[in-house]
Amino acid sequence: MPQTLVNLLSASVKKFPDKEVIIHKGRRVSYSQLWNDVCHVSRYLQNQNINAGDRVGILVENSPEYIATYYGVLAAGGVAVGLNAAAKARDLVNWLNHCDAKWLFVQSTHPELESISQVLNQEINIVNIGEHQSTLALSSTNWNGIVTQPVVTGSDVITDISDSSQPAAIIYTSGTTGKPKGVTLSHRNLVANTESIVSYLDLCERDRILNILPFHYSYGNSVMHTHLAVGGSLVLENSLMFPQKVLKKMEEEKVTGFSGVPSTYAILLSRTNLKDYDLSLVRYMTQAGGPMAPASVERFTSELPHVKFFVMYGQTEATARLTYLPPDRLVEKLGSVGVAIPGVTIRICDEKGQEVKTGETGEIQASGENIMLGYWNDSDATRQVIQDSWLHTGDLAHFDDDGYIFIDGRSSDMIKTGANRVSPKEIEEVILELEGVEEVAAVGVADDILGQVIKAVLVVSPGASLEKRIVQAHCHKNLAQYKIPKFIDFVSELPKTSSGKVQRFMLQEHN
Amino acid sequence: MAVEQIVRDYILENYLFTDDQSALSSSDSFLEKGIIDSTGILEVIHFLEDEFGIRVEDEEMIPENLDSVNNIVAFVANKQAS
Repeated sequence: MPQTLVNLLSASVKKFPDKEVIIHKGRRVSYSQLWNDVCHVSRYLQNQNINAGDRVGILVENSPEYIATYYGVLAAGGVAVGLNAAAKARDLVNWLNHCDAKWLFVQSTHPELESISQVLNQEINIVNIGEHQSTLALSSTNWNGIVTQPVVTGSDVITDISDSSQPAAIIYTSGTTGKPKGVTLSHRNLVANTESIVSYLDLCERDRILNILPFHYSYGNSVMHTHLAVGGSLVLENSLMFPQKVLKKMEEEKVTGFSGVPSTYAILLSRTNLKDYDLSLVRYMTQAGGPMAPASVERFTSELPHVKFFVMYGQTEATARLTYLPPDRLVEKLGSVGVAIPGVTIRICDEKGQEVKTGETGEIQASGENIMLGYWNDSDATRQVIQDSWLHTGDLAHFDDDGYIFIDGRSSDMIKTGANRVSPKEIEEVILELEGVEEVAAVGVADDILGQVIKAVLVVSPGASLEKRIVQAHCHKNLAQYKIPKFIDFVSELPKTSSGKVQRFMLQEHN
Repeated sequence: MAVEQIVRDYILENYLFTDDQSALSSSDSFLEKGIIDSTGILEVIHFLEDEFGIRVEDEEMIPENLDSVNNIVAFVANKQAS
């Protein structure tokens, strides 16, 4: 029988039944308690006649319930669709309809729940998590009614996966309303990337990570799976808004690991004094989600010289991770994203598909068992990025003489803000809904903390008047917070090429 | 204008993009309600420092001081008194 994430978790449960696996908001959950909930979710779905491959949405903040649901869905043979809890109804409905989800596990206090329940497919089954009384248009089941059933026993509660190339999870990434991008990952994809990361981070059951990354996001997803696979522990804090609180928690919980994106480390460097906290047990820290300034890496590692600092690179389409820079080469290869992780092959190619010479810039292409099956129900988009089993990342880079990879830029217009990839088209299609907008272009402009923030440049129709706040209010209603343009410019025309294509690079200078 | 109204107007305009006062309760947790994120709070701190002539020390960056309009009002009053 092929290896699956559920089998990896099951092995940890057998080895460490009484060990704490999740610490969250004063709750301490053991492996056996987590497993109990996983089995209850699986049995509930089986009793509801889930078919192999049925999609199940999870709209829940990082919590024991998120993890139990995710693994329960896999155990029942379903496909787990972790959704961005910060997204607005527009995106959530779009994603749930796109993957034709049959169940939605949702926090009963989610601010968009009322809106989405009114327009969702009436066939969907809602499972409410939390004490809040449901006033939904759709009928729903309560989480407590599922997990407080008598103890579930029997080997049949875990559905056998005979083919590890079957879909196990979908992660929605930077698409548009018309073309959502659902990165579809198989059981093999998830296991391959999990085992590879465990290997190079040298994770073991003694590891306790403080996690602030959302689990619906591929980086957070990988933190969750890797630590469960080794019998480690997850200390969950759902925000870095108050960084002192996070550091205090790291000290109190005696954590050994921490993962962040560049803005995480920028905030810690600018608003905390790391030396005020006892972080002596921290063994590793990881960084991914976009380029971190080498000077910041140097500063951070000089503050915590005992910590192994892993600079990494990846894509959701590769499950999560593609490369890492071994910490013992960090100083020598500062600015590099390192080498391919175990099980992955990387090549750099020119536009004709030929591998470039050392030092020359080309596109990063990757192959390995972690490369996604494709975008859900979108074979055209899949063919654009996966050709002959090679993932075309759209990222430009070169190899140095020792085979280390240095990122040089991106070949697409995608905006990267605070580790989130955002399609400019998604912003533009929302703004174009406003009366009086003739044309709009969204671009990323440089930002010290987030890498990029979004600027929208608008051309309004003659006689029409539009204020910045109206544009932002419309975006706020329809887009997650991180997608709202920070800057709104009004111009008489957009700069274009002779063929009429908007010259986005000319808009990226911030006024 | 009272500190509470100044802070409310700033949050409404910059994070909720509205002048509808009913969109925000002064006791709402910015974190729990998803109104402000980890970079937004840095902007709020800059605003408080500019507007009220105070300095927010790193160790003062805690929920008890900054996680709602009411908490900010009390924090600013304490800072101005000291």
